[in-house]
Amino acid sequence: MRPQHWLYTIPLRLRSLVRRRHVEWELNEELQFHLEQKIAEGIANGLSPKEARYAAMRAMDGLEVRKEEMRDMRRVRWLTDFLDDARYATRSLSRTSGLTAFVVITLALGIGMTSGTFSMVDALIFRPYPVPHAGGVLTLASTTHDSNLEDFSYREYLDIRDKTNSYDGVIANADMEAVGFSAEPLATPRVRGGMMVSGNYFHVLGVEPRLGRGFREDEDQVPGRDAVVVLGPDFWKHEFASDPGVLGKHIRLNGTEFIVIGVAPETFSGMLIFGHPDFYMPLAMARVFSTNLQKNFFEDRDDRELSVSARLKPGTTLQQARNELVVVAKDFEREYPKVNRSRGAAVYTQFEARTREDLNWKFGVIFVILALAVLLVASTNVAGLLLSRARARTREIAIRLAIGAGRFRLIRLLLTESLMLASLGGLAGIAIGYGIVEWFQSFQNVVFMTDLPLSVPFRMDTRVLLASLALSALSALLCGLAPALESTRLDLVNALKSADVDVPGRKRLWGRNVLVVAQVSASLMLLTASFLMVRGFQNTLREGTSFAKDHLLMASFDPRLVQYNRAQTQQFYKLLAERVREAPGVESEALTQNIPLGIDDFDGIAFVPEGLEMPRDRENFNSTMDTVDEGYFETMGIPILEGRGFRASDTADAPRVAVVNEQFAKHYWPGGDAVGKHIRLESRTGTLVEILGVAETIKYQGIFQKPIDFLYMPLAQNPVARMTLMLRSSGDPLELVQSVREVVRGLDPNLPMLHTMAYQDYYMNQAVNGPRIALKLVGSMGLVGLLLAIAGLYGLVAYNVSRRTREIGIRIALGAASSDVLRLVMGKGLALVGMGTVIGLAMGFLLEQLMNSMLFNAGGVDIAAYVIVVPSLFLVTMLAAYIPARRATRIAPTQALRYE
Amino acid sequence: MTKPSDLVQGTLDLLLLKILALEPRNGWAISQRLKQISGDVLQVSDGSLYPALHKLEQAGWITAEWKLSRNNRRAKFYSLSRLGRRHLEREAANWSRLSSAISHIVRLEEA
Repeated sequence: MRPQHWLYTIPLRLRSLVRRRHVEWELNEELQFHLEQKIAEGIANGLSPKEARYAAMRAMDGLEVRKEEMRDMRRVRWLTDFLDDARYATRSLSRTSGLTAFVVITLALGIGMTSGTFSMVDALIFRPYPVPHAGGVLTLASTTHDSNLEDFSYREYLDIRDKTNSYDGVIANADMEAVGFSAEPLATPRVRGGMMVSGNYFHVLGVEPRLGRGFREDEDQVPGRDAVVVLGPDFWKHEFASDPGVLGKHIRLNGTEFIVIGVAPETFSGMLIFGHPDFYMPLAMARVFSTNLQKNFFEDRDDRELSVSARLKPGTTLQQARNELVVVAKDFEREYPKVNRSRGAAVYTQFEARTREDLNWKFGVIFVILALAVLLVASTNVAGLLLSRARARTREIAIRLAIGAGRFRLIRLLLTESLMLASLGGLAGIAIGYGIVEWFQSFQNVVFMTDLPLSVPFRMDTRVLLASLALSALSALLCGLAPALESTRLDLVNALKSADVDVPGRKRLWGRNVLVVAQVSASLMLLTASFLMVRGFQNTLREGTSFAKDHLLMASFDPRLVQYNRAQTQQFYKLLAERVREAPGVESEALTQNIPLGIDDFDGIAFVPEGLEMPRDRENFNSTMDTVDEGYFETMGIPILEGRGFRASDTADAPRVAVVNEQFAKHYWPGGDAVGKHIRLESRTGTLVEILGVAETIKYQGIFQKPIDFLYMPLAQNPVARMTLMLRSSGDPLELVQSVREVVRGLDPNLPMLHTMAYQDYYMNQAVNGPRIALKLVGSMGLVGLLLAIAGLYGLVAYNVSRRTREIGIRIALGAASSDVLRLVMGKGLALVGMGTVIGLAMGFLLEQLMNSMLFNAGGVDIAAYVIVVPSLFLVTMLAAYIPARRATRIAPTQALRYE
Repeated sequence: MTKPSDLVQGTLDLLLLKILALEPRNGWAISQRLKQISGDVLQVSDGSLYPALHKLEQAGWITAEWKLSRNNRRAKFYSLSRLGRRHLEREAANWSRLSSAISHIVRLEEA
């Protein structure tokens, strides 16, 4: 209809809805007027009043039918019917308030858990970047044999930017890094999170600064010329109290003076999942921030530190962009075979990039699967309850059908009821979801023990809320449709004769049997999964990390914060190590670039093992690495299995050496003679490095990590700016803090000590507590699932048996022994549970495979879980069947026959 | 029994709109007028009159208002809306085009 038409019709529809009673009155009044006139006319024509009235009514062709026709003309029938149904449902639900409350709580648990866990998956995968037209922002990645999401170097970024035509701008950013920040020149720097971005970053993303301006393109062209900085919204708020006068202010970043030119808007919290950069600097200032002392950021094509993204041009397809980038990568490979051999490139959508970069989403997906299983159990419970309720209403429904209600109309009525239940459950579930998200948030400080601006990104946003509502509707269908269909498919004659009767035939019972099977299998799968996770985690903890965590103090240093050059940095660490070793209470000392199980990723290294034939399409192999000093292995308690560790004699002038872990040694020299072998760095013609020794394989990145190849380099030969000092103490490690502080003050009073804490505490928070939270979640899902399943199972089986009270009475009257009857009903229940068990075991097994392949290997099938779970479900079923059956056999047959 | 389907589809609407184009009337007056102008040729039962009126009202062609009838009783009076007047013109034009075409064809067959 045309809009001007709506001016007339909308008020009419509204009137029909809001002033329903009045409209109804008008209808009657209008017809009444007509009839009166007609009767008056009839009388005037000589009919008796009775005849006149009769004639008038006859001319109407059925007054009530006509009224219905007129009501249909209002075109709000579907809605008024729905309102009627809703009112009816409210009445009947509030009559059985106990049952209603139980159903609502049950559904709320299922929906709440699902929406809470979905908020994780949403944050980790689906939530769009906080920029306009986020769908057009693509991730460009370098690919190798070992990884399909690698960074590009600055040179490569420039080439991609200039050689591609598929995009409205190609941008680059480095990782968010710890940066020493001070607002005043003399203040001791504090660590904040800064991110280097290309000059077109804000412009291409479409982010309008809240204050001032974004970078100009020319501001990232001349290395070191434009020391400008854009502040993140939160940082501006907290550090500068939202002062607009901050523009033009000078601040110091890593000791260099920068001018504040803008503040990013509140809506732009950054493109990362967890991190929200405090400030953004142009790539051209890389010398101030670059972590890699060995490479030249602006020149070296293999100094790959940049994530590249681009905005797809409207009208260009993803496939075109992909093809184009593949050609660019081929060109790289041809022109720079040394650094780009067998290196490709790929273009990813947000979804593709997110599911490649961060592995946490896998946890999220598993949680959602488990939560959906809880929801399934909950819905089955509710379906069972509604079914038994519908049975009690058989007569009511039969009467409705008999006086002409359409079957569809009745199904609608019953579905409205379950929809109301599900809506209430959904609302309560959303409240529970909020609770779960809050609970996640409360672990913020536990999970991120760092100075960088990281936060738990889980939120109940519109998408999560919509998903929860959709789930509620789905569960309404799940638990309402079967009862509605079944109870409206009635044999009217039988149903009217008896209030509550079981029509013979298998079809009727089928629904309830399916519910029992579904319940058993879903809960079994849930329990298997939670058992597996708990046990896998315990195994992992028992396995340990293969190194000592107690009596260790850690403290990190970054001499770039006070502008040390390479030589000064080297000298600082040398003196630091020497002096702390002498401090009282220090048993041994170590310096390492990264601590095991820390939050930062280890560096990678490319190498060619000497004397090994390289596969034709490979230039080199890759491994993870760490740079450590000579005290590291002893201090951390990592045994050297063969050869030796580093010594003070392995100086910069001595031949290059390295220590590898056992995994590495076995991988490349399965014969077990790795010590004394050589590798070449980068390529066949690279620097020669001798392998000094083999260290035991430990857990490096996370406690669930499978063993990986690992290589250690001595600090003296591989200088690194940011190092962590580890001290082994004879007593409480925290007692050493004071003496370390004094040593550092003696070396440079301006240099801050970062992350000073007992390693044990750090380890607990970083590696143990995080997974423990996940376990609590899974454990509570398993528990809730089990409780719901037991309650539901008991209810269903007991109900099924009690329905047969009359039948049992007949059997006993005909001379059956009560043991026969018990065997009969219990056998039936056990058969159903048996079927559910088989399905549940199969699903649980599949889920286990999935979890093992995704997360950790807890060692194949978990027998213990089944040995505990399966018998308990059987026991519950037997009890549920036994008690009503026992009661049925005990009461006199005459009573049983009259039962109901 | 006379059903609206006895009339050509949509003609009842046209007739009602035409009747209301002159002056506002209540349902009873409309039924009287219908009988009067069409004689016995077009029979519209009281029963189908009111649903048809309600349909026109909900479509926005006519508007209703409670007024006193001639014998001082409150009755629902219908009158043509602006939209309805335009609709009537269009439909009337359509109708004459259609009916003249049909009678032309019918006459052709006779010849």
